[in-house]
Amino acid sequence: MLDNPWMSVGKPEPRIDAVEKAAGTVRYTADYTAPGLLHAKLATSTKAHAKIKSIDVTEAWKIPGVRAIVTGKMFPFHIGPILADRPPLAFEKVRYFGEPLAIVVADHEYQAKQAAGLIKVEYEPLPVVNSVREAFQSNAPLIHENSGQYIKIISNVYPVQGTNIGSHIKIRKGDIITAWENCDYKVKETYSFNLSDHVALEPRCTLVEINPAGKVVVHSTTQSPFTIKKVLNQFFNIEVGNIIVHVPLIGGAFGGKGTVQLEPLAYLASKAVGGKMVKLEYDREEDLITAPGHIGLEATIALGTNKSGKLLAAQYTYLIDSGAYTDQAAGITRAMALDCTGPYDIANVWCDSYCMYTNHPYATSFRGYAHPELTFAVERTMDQLAKRLNFDPVELRKINAIKPGNSSPTRTMLNANNIGDVVQCIDRAKELIGWDENSLRKKTTDGKVRTKGISTFWKTSTTATNAQSGAILKFEADGSVNLNCAAIELGQGTKTILAQMVAERLKMDINKVHVTMEVNTQTDPHQWRTVASSTTFLAGRAVMNAADDAISQLKRTAATALQCSMEDLEVGGGRVYLKSSPEYGVKIEDIALGYKYPNGHAVEGQVVGHGRYIQRHLTPMDKDTGFGKPGPWWSVGTQAVEVEWDPKDCTYTILKAVTVLDGGKIINPMTAVQQMRGGMYLGLSFASQEAFLFDSHGTVLNPQLRTYQIMRFGEQPADYIVDFIQTPAADGPYGARGIGEYGVIGMAGALANALSRAAEVELNHLPLIPERIWKTRKEMQK
Amino acid sequence: MIPFDFDYYRPDSISEAVQIYETLAKQSKKVLFYSGGTEFITFSRINQLYADAVIDLKGIPECNTLEMQGEQIVIGAAVSLNKITESNLFPLLGQTIKKIADHTSRNKITIGGNLHSRLIYRESVLPLLVAEAEVRLAGSEGETTVQLEEIFNQQLSTSPGQFLVQIIVPKTYTDSPFASFKKTKMSKVGYPIVSIAAILKNKQIRAALSGVCEYPFRSVEIEAALNDSSLSIEEKIEKAVTLLPSQIIDDIQASSDYREFVLKNTLHETMEALGAAHG
Repeated sequence: MLDNPWMSVGKPEPRIDAVEKAAGTVRYTADYTAPGLLHAKLATSTKAHAKIKSIDVTEAWKIPGVRAIVTGKMFPFHIGPILADRPPLAFEKVRYFGEPLAIVVADHEYQAKQAAGLIKVEYEPLPVVNSVREAFQSNAPLIHENSGQYIKIISNVYPVQGTNIGSHIKIRKGDIITAWENCDYKVKETYSFNLSDHVALEPRCTLVEINPAGKVVVHSTTQSPFTIKKVLNQFFNIEVGNIIVHVPLIGGAFGGKGTVQLEPLAYLASKAVGGKMVKLEYDREEDLITAPGHIGLEATIALGTNKSGKLLAAQYTYLIDSGAYTDQAAGITRAMALDCTGPYDIANVWCDSYCMYTNHPYATSFRGYAHPELTFAVERTMDQLAKRLNFDPVELRKINAIKPGNSSPTRTMLNANNIGDVVQCIDRAKELIGWDENSLRKKTTDGKVRTKGISTFWKTSTTATNAQSGAILKFEADGSVNLNCAAIELGQGTKTILAQMVAERLKMDINKVHVTMEVNTQTDPHQWRTVASSTTFLAGRAVMNAADDAISQLKRTAATALQCSMEDLEVGGGRVYLKSSPEYGVKIEDIALGYKYPNGHAVEGQVVGHGRYIQRHLTPMDKDTGFGKPGPWWSVGTQAVEVEWDPKDCTYTILKAVTVLDGGKIINPMTAVQQMRGGMYLGLSFASQEAFLFDSHGTVLNPQLRTYQIMRFGEQPADYIVDFIQTPAADGPYGARGIGEYGVIGMAGALANALSRAAEVELNHLPLIPERIWKTRKEMQK
Repeated sequence: MIPFDFDYYRPDSISEAVQIYETLAKQSKKVLFYSGGTEFITFSRINQLYADAVIDLKGIPECNTLEMQGEQIVIGAAVSLNKITESNLFPLLGQTIKKIADHTSRNKITIGGNLHSRLIYRESVLPLLVAEAEVRLAGSEGETTVQLEEIFNQQLSTSPGQFLVQIIVPKTYTDSPFASFKKTKMSKVGYPIVSIAAILKNKQIRAALSGVCEYPFRSVEIEAALNDSSLSIEEKIEKAVTLLPSQIIDDIQASSDYREFVLKNTLHETMEALGAAHG
C-alpha cells in the first residue's frame, strides 16, 4: 500500500486558530455587544455565614439607569450539577464570603455597579465553619440544615442529613484489617491545602435574552453549553428546544467554566427586564471568589508493605473542602475515591472520601478533577515510605506499578488497552531528569542544595455513562469540507486535533478542512461537555465516524459519475478514484454538491457526513463498596522536578520539570507538548504559591490578584522536558487516549518531594512558600 | 470599571494646575492629583477610592524632567519608573524601583505616584531618603523646595492643593557604592516583606527599609548600630533589629517572625554587598 501523502495524525500541524489569536482579532464573549444591551452587576455577601435579615434596595433604585433589582426571593429554589443544594441568589442565609445576593440591571455597567454597591444587607451572624476538620466535628454548626432533602441530579451522591457531609464515597476492596496486621512497614501521614482558583486569563461572562417567541438565547464562556440547556430546563422549566447557547473561543478554563453559575443569574436578570438581552461580566475579584474555584483538601493516608516493599494494604481518608455548596466537588469526591491509590497495585484498599461543606467559596472542577490533589498526598506518602524502607523512591514505585491484569480500586480489570505503561513512564522520566540515587541531594559551590523529586500518576475520566459527541462534515463546492462539532476551543487545540483527524481520514490537505470555531447548540450535534480530557476520544471518534459516512457518500456519487461500483473506489487527494487505476477518477469538487450529467440532469446532492460516539459499558459505583466501572481508560505518567534550594533563607528555584505521559497515540506532538507545559505550569503554580487565605470569620483575605499569588511569566522552570510513551488504545481514535489534564497532576507531589529532600523535613502542606519551609524546619528543631 | 463619574483636567502648567485645584476646592469637590493612574483606577474600581475630579499632572513640563542639571539630578514627579531606571541617572533609585510591580505596570507607575502610594511600601522613597534628596512642591502658596526627610514622616505630607513637581538628588550620592534588595513571600512581583536601599558614604552605611514596618523609614539609630565598629556583624544586626521604629508587620505576606528572619538575612546580605561585613 502507498503511504498516505496527506498524513496528518502524528504531525506537528500548526494550530488552526494561531493566526487570529496572534493578530488579536478573536472576539470573546465579553467583546459581544448589541443595541439595547443591558448590564447586570451583583451585590455579594460580606459575611461567610449569616442569616439574611433584610435586603434594602431603596438607595440602589435611586441610581439613574437602573431597570431591575433581583433578589433571592424571585427564585427561592436550589440548583446544582450533582446535588441541587445552591440557590443562584442566596435567600434566608448566606454561606460564603462573596456569595451572590442580588442582581442590579441597568443601562450601563457602571450604573449597575454603583447601584449594587448601595444595596444594604442586614445580617445575623452565624458561627463559621472554617475548615474541613471543623466541619467534620459532630457538634459543628450546620451549613445546610436540610441536605437530606436536596434533589439528587445524578446517582452517586450521598449527603448525610444533620452533618456537613455533602457526600461520602466508599471503596472497600479486599480485607484491609487482616492485611494491615501483616504489613512489615507502615506509614501514616496527613496532608492539606486550602481552596484556590483557576485564574483563567478570561474572566467569566454571559449574555442572556428571552426573545418574544420564548426562545432563550445564551452567549457564554462555558465548557458545557448543553449543560446550560439542561440546567435551564431542569430548574427553570424552559423547553430544551427553546434554549440556544452560543460559545465563541474561550480564554482559558481549567475546569472552572465547566459548571453553570452565571447563566441562571443572567436569565433571572433578563426575565426581570422583560427578556431584554442582559450581560453579566465578572470582575476579576468576582471571578476569584464569587465564581466557584478549586477544592481544598485534608488527606490522611496509611500505607503498609511487606519486607520487599510490595504494598499490601492502604487506607485513605479524604476530606474535600467543597466550600458552601457541593457543585462538582461531589463528583471530585467520587473521582478521588475511585483512583485513590494512584497507579499502584494494592489488593486491600479502604477509602472514605468526604465532600465537606464549609463556609468557604464553593469549589468546582479543576484541571485533573481530584487527581492533582490525591496525587500530592499519595506521592508524598510513597516518598516517606521509601525513606522508611530505605528504598530508592523510584524503585518503590516500580515494584508497585499497576499493570494489565491488576484491578483498580473499583475493581475494574485492567488490560493492555485501557491503561498505559506505568513502568516505561517511570524509566523514561528517570532518564530525563538524570535520576541517580547517589546524587539526589547535591550541594552547589555557593552553598545551595540541588535535589530532585519524582511523582507517578494516573487518571481515568468519570464522564457521564452516556457521555457522547457528534460531528457533521459538510462539503463545499470547491471540494473543501466544514466540520461542525460542539467541542469547545479553550486554548487546548481541540479544533486542530479534530481537523487533523478529518484530513487523515479523508486523505485530504488539512488546509481544506474548515472547522467552525464557535459552538451553536442549535446547529451543532450534542456534545456532553469539553472536560475530563475526553474530547479527543469522544469527539475524535465521532469525527472519524462522520468521515466514514462522508466517504461512503462520496463513493456513491462517484460511482454514478464513473459508472462503476462503490467498492472499486478510493477517496484521497481531493479525488475519488478507481483503486485499480488511480488516474481514472473524479474531483471531489465535481461531486461535493451532487453530480451533474453532461445533459444537465443531477443526482445525489451535497455530501453531508454525520457521525457520533457514545461511551460504552460505563457504570456508576456501588454505594457500599465502590464496585463499578466509572471511566473508560487510564492515561498514566511520571513527572519530576529539579530544584535549587537555599538553606540560608529557604527560597528556591525550579530548574527543571519533566513530564512523561502515556496517553496512547499522540495526534499532534507540538500541541501535546505545549499542553503538558501548560499543565506543569499550572501544577507548579498551585503547589508553590496558590491558596485563598481566610480570617477567623471566613473572610477571604486575598480576593484579588494584588494578593492572590500565581506563578509569573519568567518564574517557570528554565527547562520543561516532555516526552510521550505511545501505547495505543485500541478503541481510541488512531489509538489516542486523553491527555488534556495530565500535565498538572504530578507536579505538586514532585515539587514537595524535591523540596522535602532539600530541606530535610517532610513538607506535607501546600503551598510551598519559603516561609512554610522555614517554619517546618524550625518546628522540627524544637 | 470605575463605578462613578468624575471630571478630568489636564493642565499644561504648574500655575494652571494650582488654579484648577483652587476652583474645584471652592466647590467642595474631592480632588486628586495623579499622573500614572494605576492606583486611581485599581482602587476606584473596587470602591476604595473616590474623587469628584482628577488633575492629571502629565501635561506639566516640569513634572516630566529627567536630567542632570549641574551637580543635581532632577526627576519630574510624572516620570515613569521604567524611564528612570533606563536613564541610569541614579543607579540605586533605578535598581530599587525596578523591583516594584511588573514591567508593564512600571510603564505607567510614576515616581510621584509611588511616593504618594496608598499602599504601605512606597519603595521609591528609600534611595531618596539615603541620598538626602530634596523635593520641589507647588501649591497656592507658591513653589517651595524642601528636604524630603522634612516632609516624609511615614508618608509624604503635603498640604491640601500642594503637589510634588520634582525630586532633586545631589549628584555626589549617585557615585557611592550601593545595595538594593527586595524579599517577597514568593514571586518577585509580590509586595516586599523586606526591601532595603543602602549606600556607603564616607565608609558609613546609610539604609532605608520598607515592608518591615507599616511604613518606609530611614533610621539613624539603626545606621549607628550597623556602623558600630565595636560590634561583630551578627551583633550589629541583632542590635539593629531592636531599634526598629515600630512593630514588625504580621500579615498575609509574612508573619512577623519570618519577616524578622528575612530582615536579618537581608541586612547581612546588604553589609556584604557594601563590603562592610567585616569592617
